Amino acid sequence: MPEIDRRDFLKIVGIGAGGAAASGCADHVEKLIPYVVQPEVITPGLPVVYASTCLECPSACGLHVRTREGRPVKLEGNPEHPINRGSLCGRGQASIGRTYHPDRFRKPQRRGAGGGLEEATFAQATADVAAKISASPGGTWVLGGPTGPTLSGLIDRFVAAVGAGGRLVYEPFSHDGLREASRAVFGVAGLPVFDLSGVDFVLDLGADSFESWLSPVEHQRQVLEARDVASAAGRTARMVYVGPRLSMTASSADLWLPARAGSEGLVALAIARVVFERRQAAGLPVGGDPGLLGPLLAGFAPEKVAAATGLAAADLRRVGEQMAEARRAVALPPGDGLASSRAVATNAAVLVLDAALGAVGRNVGLPAEPPAGQPARLAEIAELVAAMNAGSVSVLLVHDANPVHTLPPELGFREALAKVGLVVSFAPLADETTELAHWVLPDHTPLESWGDAAPRPGVRSVVQPTIRPLYDTQALGDTLLEIARQMGEATAAKLPSGSFRGVLEASFAGADFAAVLAKGGVFAPAPLRAGAVLPGVAKLAFAAPELAGDGEHALLVHPSPLLYDGRGAALPWLQETPDPVAKIAWQSWLEMSRATAEALGVETGDVVSVETPAGRAEVAAFPRGGIRDDVVALAVGQGHRVGLYASHANEGRPGEARGANAVELLPAARDEAGGRAWLSTRARVAATGGHARLALTQKSDNKRGRQLGEVVALAALLGHGGSAAHAGAHEMRRPYDPAADAVGDSPYRWGLTIDLDRCTGCSACAVACSIENNIPNVGEEQVIRSRQMSWLRIERWVGEGEQDLRAGRPPREDHEQLGRIDVRHTPMLCQQCGAAPCEPVCPVLATYHSPEGLNGMIYNRCIGTRYCSNNCPYKVRRFNWFDYAIEKWPDPLPLMLNPDVTVRGQGVMEKCTFCVQRIDLARQAAKDAGRPIGDGEVTPACAQTCPSQAIAFGNLRDEKSRAAALVRENGARAYKALHALNTRPSVGYLARVVREPASRIEESPHVASAARDQEEA
Amino acid sequence: MTAPARTAGVAAMIRRPPAPPDSRINRDILSVMEGAGPGYWLLLLAAVVVVHVAGAIWVYQVYKGLGIAGYVHPVFWGVYIVTFVFWVGIAHAGTLISAILYLFRAKWRNAINRSAEAMTVFAVLTAAQFLGIHVGRIWKSYFILPYPNQRALWVNFKSPLLWDTFAISTYATISAVFLYIGMIPDLAIARDRAVGWRKVLYTVLALGWQGTSGQWKAHTRTTLHLSGLATPLVLSVHSVVSWDFAMAIVPGWHTTIFGPYFVAGAIFSGFAMVLTMMIPVRRIFGLEEYITDYHFENMSRFLLLTSTIVGYAYASEYFMAWYSGVEPEQSSFWLRAFGPYWFSTWAMILCNAVFPQILWFKKVRTHIPTLFVLSVLINIGMWFERYVIIITGLSREYNPSTWGIYTPSWYELGILAGSFAFFCMFFLIFLKLFPVIAIAEMKELAIHEKAHGSGGSH
Repeated sequence: MPEIDRRDFLKIVGIGAGGAAASGCADHVEKLIPYVVQPEVITPGLPVVYASTCLECPSACGLHVRTREGRPVKLEGNPEHPINRGSLCGRGQASIGRTYHPDRFRKPQRRGAGGGLEEATFAQATADVAAKISASPGGTWVLGGPTGPTLSGLIDRFVAAVGAGGRLVYEPFSHDGLREASRAVFGVAGLPVFDLSGVDFVLDLGADSFESWLSPVEHQRQVLEARDVASAAGRTARMVYVGPRLSMTASSADLWLPARAGSEGLVALAIARVVFERRQAAGLPVGGDPGLLGPLLAGFAPEKVAAATGLAAADLRRVGEQMAEARRAVALPPGDGLASSRAVATNAAVLVLDAALGAVGRNVGLPAEPPAGQPARLAEIAELVAAMNAGSVSVLLVHDANPVHTLPPELGFREALAKVGLVVSFAPLADETTELAHWVLPDHTPLESWGDAAPRPGVRSVVQPTIRPLYDTQALGDTLLEIARQMGEATAAKLPSGSFRGVLEASFAGADFAAVLAKGGVFAPAPLRAGAVLPGVAKLAFAAPELAGDGEHALLVHPSPLLYDGRGAALPWLQETPDPVAKIAWQSWLEMSRATAEALGVETGDVVSVETPAGRAEVAAFPRGGIRDDVVALAVGQGHRVGLYASHANEGRPGEARGANAVELLPAARDEAGGRAWLSTRARVAATGGHARLALTQKSDNKRGRQLGEVVALAALLGHGGSAAHAGAHEMRRPYDPAADAVGDSPYRWGLTIDLDRCTGCSACAVACSIENNIPNVGEEQVIRSRQMSWLRIERWVGEGEQDLRAGRPPREDHEQLGRIDVRHTPMLCQQCGAAPCEPVCPVLATYHSPEGLNGMIYNRCIGTRYCSNNCPYKVRRFNWFDYAIEKWPDPLPLMLNPDVTVRGQGVMEKCTFCVQRIDLARQAAKDAGRPIGDGEVTPACAQTCPSQAIAFGNLRDEKSRAAALVRENGARAYKALHALNTRPSVGYLARVVREPASRIEESPHVASAARDQEEA
Repeated sequence: MTAPARTAGVAAMIRRPPAPPDSRINRDILSVMEGAGPGYWLLLLAAVVVVHVAGAIWVYQVYKGLGIAGYVHPVFWGVYIVTFVFWVGIAHAGTLISAILYLFRAKWRNAINRSAEAMTVFAVLTAAQFLGIHVGRIWKSYFILPYPNQRALWVNFKSPLLWDTFAISTYATISAVFLYIGMIPDLAIARDRAVGWRKVLYTVLALGWQGTSGQWKAHTRTTLHLSGLATPLVLSVHSVVSWDFAMAIVPGWHTTIFGPYFVAGAIFSGFAMVLTMMIPVRRIFGLEEYITDYHFENMSRFLLLTSTIVGYAYASEYFMAWYSGVEPEQSSFWLRAFGPYWFSTWAMILCNAVFPQILWFKKVRTHIPTLFVLSVLINIGMWFERYVIIITGLSREYNPSTWGIYTPSWYELGILAGSFAFFCMFFLIFLKLFPVIAIAEMKELAIHEKAHGSGGSH
């Protein structure tokens, strides 16, 4: 071997070091590995869609799970499903994240000697659990959330087979009052079915039917369809909301009667009396026995109950008269937030009103028979807790529920749990209950599971796995079967052999299972079951509820539109989506009236303490005009101490609760029948002197008269026919000419038409957009700095606003007034302007005008001068301040990324693209078929999921496209946001229609002037 | 130099300073370059340390992301752009003095032109840093140059930011050339006296200058032509910078007054910076004979003039906001004066438009400590002027749902401090490396004086 001298050595070292340094400069190279054996159904690059069912809440919407290369990447509604018809709410959209959640258990866990969880195997787990159950079968209890009928039946059989003590179905928002009221009024305990299609008058008595009540997606679609002005021309349904605060649902109504919390029953009876009188006098049919209703309603004249409800008798009478005249009116009973010690009577009163309206059998259907697996009432859970305390529960199996977090602490569940010998949790994600469990036998997530759901008669929806389980998890049904097998032949023999999937398939005997899976379930029309009011209803005590404590304010603890009962708190997409009302993300806040705030001397964000007989919490104050003075409101959902996103763990503070758990402020109060009462206590509110930085994404609801969220009076609209041609219209409002803004001879000019009259602010579009487009959730701290990345946000304007220069100071502007609605929810996204201010200012042409009129954004070219955002009047551009692609997608979340959409790197600008990846997919299909892209072939994520179909996407150059037709047919309502800037947006808005007399809501000057112009022409 | 000079108003009015004899000029001015006391080294060390701290912040920012700065939606431009515009503004005095005053034959400029030109170059260098500091992807910032490439990617000639790139690079080139050309005869003098490495340096830099009449002729002619080239730049560079704002539709930016307003502001701040730097230099190095009160008085007159223009622009902006009847514009200006940014706005108005009015009094114009304090205040005021324009404009635009209030982060302020240190560092090095006053031109003045006798104008 030749000797290496010093010079050669240095040369070699130099070359080596230089080479290493140079190769370090190159970008990281990743390789795509092709399938060795390609699965038959998968074509790389093309999605495969499976039908399934959303199990995020009991409404059981049908899903189309869009998978790419074996991974679900997006959930969409199943268009064939009778419940949701293709739409999905934000919670459903976000539920895909459960499968890829960093909080998932990757293996069964056993509580170790040190108190921590240790990994184990299912064999060990089932053997141990089986042994413990065998030791005392009678001491074994199952406590779990509602499941599909097949799983529920299997659990019941398991309970019977092992000789367990019993099973309780536990659900925080269980509508106990409504179930009992249905028994009292109609004799059938169960949830009535509310079919709101074709209604012409909806009275929502605090049901919050668009956000958290029985079947929000369905109700939203039905009501908004019935309210359409173009098709029904003047027969548009009216909607009246009764409740103590201007909720999201209330903001879509025409009239808001801010009744005292808990007085909804009295309101219903007063209205029922007016309806009854009117109809009797006019000789119109009255649903129900007049001989029964007459005396029952006699004592509830509007004038008598007005004082107790806090409303004007004239308003009650007016609503009653309108409802009496309506042909298809329906009243919706209050949601669980308003369930008080009189919940049964309150719900019964509303059902009586429905009967008087003749709605039973038309819009309200009774449950056929009390189905099995009904949620337990709080009284039954209290009995279980007592048994646990007494030491007579040795094994507790907990599934699909987080009772430690959602049961009132006064009940003592957490303490009682310590006395149970073996607590087994089946939760797939870590939560407060798994923290106390001895065994965690993680269930699959719904996207990995078999199952079914039967939300109402005639609908049996199927759940099928769309991905192989990511981790060592096992379906609950299979785990139970395995435990039974471990317990011995005798026990196993009482249960089905084989797997849970087999049980499910057998339950569809007679049907072609493959066809059922393809369709998403078995759907048959089921007529609504009618029933007559029973005399026993008169025995109920219709009176104001009793509240514990002696504070000045009733504490309204209501379901969160996005986090529901808190199960959504684990999902960062829901945490980051601003609340539809308060526009706050990631946090808790206490809504109080401005007068209350003034009396306390607090402003938005000042920390107040809330004290009830049951507990105390500190939370940021959120004064607003839209809430009664005698109420403070706190949403359920936050306050978790476990979970990466549910707690502050993602900010490096594990174990610290995010926000306040409203449930901890509530006593374990019950209604007349032992059901759970939420509206149960008064609260003392006091300033603490502290201040919290709120993650408030919209600091002003004052649009200052600018052309953003417009309204038009129904009277004006009908006077002008609603579809008049635009001849002679105002210069600034001339019809949009798509030819002007698409380049050359392109056959396409993509556009979006948003009907503000249909937008409820539910934010499903925002969540869908976020998931479709790989938008990172930046977290609380960054949202406080308004650095959320949302491409689509819903602006919430109240009124026309004022041009007071002094207004608009931080922290917040609020123009709400008690009893006044005038909320204009306005989805704001990139307007894809024809004359886009963002385009000319980019020095590197990273944003440019595509031949089809889109404002393209080339991430690779962007150097991050951020000039485009400065020049965007709509402020819809977002900037990657950090390397979110790395920071905000912890494993295994990257598996969820949509492979069709670039993940943006640090330092580049991004914005809405009109889901250009979907346009391209449709373009390829059209090109293969040798035809242009047809209307309806491309639907962006926002338009696809909208429960009320407020968003229409299409080619504006195609006159027949729905987007273009909507503008044409609703000419008097159409406008462009900030039109005076002449940006020529391709997003058209249709102004919200004000159905009540204009005195309640002043008309937008822009639309009014358009109407004037038309009149002149 | 005869009749035409009289037409230049300022030049005609002035009284020329008594010039020291030739031999002393060399000695006095070059002595500035000789040796360095501990004070100098301490200052230089401080500057270098601060530059390095700022550099470290910048490296961290590149690594971590721009999120460490105080940006909030929708305020996407912050202290970095403010400081960029500030330094571009500072850069204006130099060229004004070297080019425009040269063309107007305002001989008094000879005492200050070298330092002003040097400041110009350093200020442009400092400003240019901020283009890189500001962008999100510094590693791709070469995209902004129209270089030929296989993918046929081209830049957007419609974008004011691209104009900016050209304007700044042109200005940097011209001002550097101007500085260098003007310095050649002085470098030759320094070469003749220097030893060691300095000898080598000056020999190379002096380009073999012998002071022959041919060389002088070429030199004078070059200076004249360069002045002709540079004169429009004085007006254009800051006009182009102003178009970064005026071409946008942001309320408070979109206005036709921005060109002259920014140019006047730039000259205003440039002269203030010359005063801020030269007053201590003169004192420390004993250059009172060369840079006299009379120079300061003349610069004060410039300050007074440009302050008045700037003040007029402020008033006119508010008038137009009110008179236009455009509500977003009105809201924006209300925010300036009475919103959370009130301090910046009032600092700007007081420092730039009100305080300088004391310069109407000759006593003030010749009272050096007052001038020094005033010049520092003007520098602060001019920084705030850009802060007010940029930040308030962006804070409340057309869509009130996104309004946000910006507060700079400590990182940004660190880099801001670093920019001053960067500028000072160059200036300190320059002081010791190159003649801070144009020797040849001072001699020219002296010769003039001998020829025409002392006192009065020529």
